[in-house]
Amino acid sequence: MAQRELAQRELTPSDSVQRELGTTLSVVTVRATPPERFLAGQKIQRVDSTTLLQFRFGSLTDLLQFNTPLAFKNYGPGQLATVSFRGTSANHTAVLWNDIDINQPNLGQTDFSTLPVAGFDRLAVQYGSSASVVGSGAVGGSVLLGSAGEWRSGIGVSLGQQVSSFRNNQTQLGVRYGSSLGKNWQLSGKTFAYRSQYTNDYPYKERRNYFVEQSQTAQRGLVQDVFLRDKRGRQVSVNAWLTDNDLVLTPQDTVSRERTRTQSARLLASYEANALTLRLGWIRDRFDYAKGNFDLPDRTRTDRFLARAEREFPLWRGNIYVQTVLRVGGEWSHYRTVTDGYGGQLITENRQNLYVLLRIQTPRWLVSANIRQAYVTRFNPPLTPSLGIEHKLIQQEKLILTAKASIGRSYRVPTLNERYWLVLGNPNLRPENGLNMEAGLTTTVKLTNNLALTADATVYRNRVDDWSYWNPDLGYRVENLQLVVAQGGELNTTLTYARDGWQTGIRAGYALTRSAQQRAYNVYAQDVVGKQLPYVPIHNGTLNAWIARNKNRLTVQMQTSSRRYITFDESQYFNGTVLANVLLETTLRVGSVPIRVQGQVNNVFDTLLFSVKRNALPGRNFSINLLINFPFIKP
Amino acid sequence: MKTQLIKTAAAALLSLTLWNCNTTDPEPVPYESGVYVINSGNFLDNNGSISFLPRNSSTVITDIFNAANARTFTGGVQDYTEIDGKGVVLVDNSTAGQDKVEIVLTGTFKSVKTLAAPDVENPRFVVRAGNNKAYVTCWGATGSGANFFANPGYVLVLDLAAQTITKRIPMPKAANRMVVIGNEVYVGSDAGDPTLVVINTDTDELKQPAITVGANTNPIAADANNQLWAYSGATNEMVRINPANKVIAARLKVGGSPKSPGPFAISADRRTFYFVNSFYDPADNFRQKGETYRFNIDATSIPAATPFINRLFIGLDVDPQTGTIYAGITPSFKQAGFVLRYKPDTGILTDSVRGEIAPSRFFFR
Repeated sequence: MAQRELAQRELTPSDSVQRELGTTLSVVTVRATPPERFLAGQKIQRVDSTTLLQFRFGSLTDLLQFNTPLAFKNYGPGQLATVSFRGTSANHTAVLWNDIDINQPNLGQTDFSTLPVAGFDRLAVQYGSSASVVGSGAVGGSVLLGSAGEWRSGIGVSLGQQVSSFRNNQTQLGVRYGSSLGKNWQLSGKTFAYRSQYTNDYPYKERRNYFVEQSQTAQRGLVQDVFLRDKRGRQVSVNAWLTDNDLVLTPQDTVSRERTRTQSARLLASYEANALTLRLGWIRDRFDYAKGNFDLPDRTRTDRFLARAEREFPLWRGNIYVQTVLRVGGEWSHYRTVTDGYGGQLITENRQNLYVLLRIQTPRWLVSANIRQAYVTRFNPPLTPSLGIEHKLIQQEKLILTAKASIGRSYRVPTLNERYWLVLGNPNLRPENGLNMEAGLTTTVKLTNNLALTADATVYRNRVDDWSYWNPDLGYRVENLQLVVAQGGELNTTLTYARDGWQTGIRAGYALTRSAQQRAYNVYAQDVVGKQLPYVPIHNGTLNAWIARNKNRLTVQMQTSSRRYITFDESQYFNGTVLANVLLETTLRVGSVPIRVQGQVNNVFDTLLFSVKRNALPGRNFSINLLINFPFIKP
Repeated sequence: MKTQLIKTAAAALLSLTLWNCNTTDPEPVPYESGVYVINSGNFLDNNGSISFLPRNSSTVITDIFNAANARTFTGGVQDYTEIDGKGVVLVDNSTAGQDKVEIVLTGTFKSVKTLAAPDVENPRFVVRAGNNKAYVTCWGATGSGANFFANPGYVLVLDLAAQTITKRIPMPKAANRMVVIGNEVYVGSDAGDPTLVVINTDTDELKQPAITVGANTNPIAADANNQLWAYSGATNEMVRINPANKVIAARLKVGGSPKSPGPFAISADRRTFYFVNSFYDPADNFRQKGETYRFNIDATSIPAATPFINRLFIGLDVDPQTGTIYAGITPSFKQAGFVLRYKPDTGILTDSVRGEIAPSRFFFR
């Protein structure tokens, strides 16, 4: 890579990429976030826009399941879905939206079923601990969601509609707009609303003698992004994402029906100059659960106010061979929660973070060294350093081979539930602490003019001590009891072939995950020592194969996993499964209006899959997605 | 040569046929004699099961229903009994409308019929109430909090010959444990109702009036003198009732705050009761603990000073054939429990067998 280009990349943390969106090519400005820039040596997987578009009407769970080795604990369609990333538990995955953590603070985790893919523009998955950069909870990995401005003048409207089996449907309406403001400023905005109704009106009550649970989910959401940037690279942005998820189990039974309402409002204002980033955020999470009488729910209300300042200092500017950047940051967040399970009184706490991130890049080497100290009311987690190195072993026109390695500490501040839940919570918990090591190789090979290969292989070991556990011996009081070691590896390869207007490709991933509790803290814990953690398959594979010509594309998505134990001692398990979807897309034109049509067969093989509750998930089902992108109207 | 070939072939065929005859003996009954361990499983996992433990073996055969039918119960197993060649399994799913009663052939555990919602909702206990007749108590759909027992309970009358539900007998709230004495079934409750309801098994009608004992009374067993014993939760009393005249003959304090008694079991000679006293020990980080005591049916008080077995069990029963005490240990609802066998007279541990999730009841055949 040319020195100048390299320098440019580093000096402006904005990275203009061409992105194909539907039928239109547009310029999207993507500013790389610190997790993407300061975690040298670690694996990051950016989900391409084609995949995002294919899952435009899906939930984040579906997308990640078919494209990453993340394992989900799924309670049913439209119901709670929690993640296990590299063999860790649901509260060991950080979920960031525009660089701020949006995990629900009471539970310290995200219900992925409440995050539809339509709610964000960018998605990347960062593997392994990144607590030095991200903070608490980034133990197994992080899921990075982001908004992106589209810098075109004019206005464009898009309308999407999905109709699916079981009387399920979804509607999306979006407007993107852009304009110049005077000589120096440019505005870009997006207003996007969606609603979906999962009636789940199955034509069967059972599948092969296993019940299909009756449930209904209604989802609504609103996204509002405004970006303002000037010619000097300064940017002011306001992002808002409101989500409302309303799940009712057994709606037909007025005594036993259960309603779970999850509402979140996320509001973020950012100022980014070349060297300075300021963010102000407010996140409100409301969670209501009621059984029978929906007027008297158990309530959880949590607000989080956040302020963050980061400044970047280029070091040794004269040296164009070595690009060195130091980023210094501080974050303050204030939590306020009123939760029935804590007694209903207001509980507040402050969390502060100070961190220093260093990135050194040469044409062949990339090194990052980071350190973070968090200060939490009554809980001061350990100093959290990390070090990562990447080295281009081979750098030729047709072959690039890079070796990577990293080591880093991680921590997780106990969740609000773990500390404040009446009787069972434990105010004396210690933060969990972990040590993650990984190494890998990535390669890009241009085999012929038409055939390209990218591949990566990673091995890791992640040891987490003081792993908190709701101990049944103590009536489910929570304790720092366990020691979990997760180790494994990931292999990914993508092969693409393009010729004469045809495009075809295959993307395959395999993950081996061994994750087990290692401490015999009582006589019966001996039965679980060394056993695979529940719901974490040892083998996981994904496969995407496609063939496309012009606007037509046929895709097969497959996901397979080995048995998943449902107990800590491997005594019971769900069998391994193979799940496959087939997608057919085309774009029709009605006058000048392109209509993207996607037909989809889900669970083609009619596989019997189980929810965590041992209910059968739906069999083969169908959906049709329509996306109308009205032509951009230029001023 | 040709005839030789034919002869050889014929001989081979004959021997094959004979060998086949040898293998078409009646299918051996796999679970003929032994102990069925009823594992309630973990509530939301809906993974209850029944395991089979031969009396002279220390290895359980797990999930015998799945082995016989290639499917699991899909719920917690609440209770099991056998009636005239049929086994009746009560399955409680965490989701309303998904509970069921599985009727199986005894010995093989092949399912012959599944009864489901809306008839079956929160099934609790099953007893034999006559030839080919089962009574199943059900709570009905439950709500939450103060409205948990939102519906009156009921008793389902099952005809096991036809495998149908023949009657639904309305009960006060939360119909629960049952004990059969002669042609009467005594039905308890957990929802504050002060009575033991009596049903005539000949007519499947309530006998009026019900016996007023105290809130949350559940019958435990009939003793050697054919007296009914019940545990009254509101007052922490073992109550002895004369079934002939329905008069309460004795009330003996048992357990008591902070220790709560249960489960209870009666010895093979029906002269001794065993029970577990469980509590959360505040001096030991609220660890759940328990002690197992015993008392004679002629006792005038139930001392709980020196435990018979100093352990906590979530399941406790006595093999009526051998007198052996069977006890269930649940380290957690997310790993296999253990079945412990004790000598009835000394309380000495005979062996400990790894079972399945939450071994909470036992059925002996």
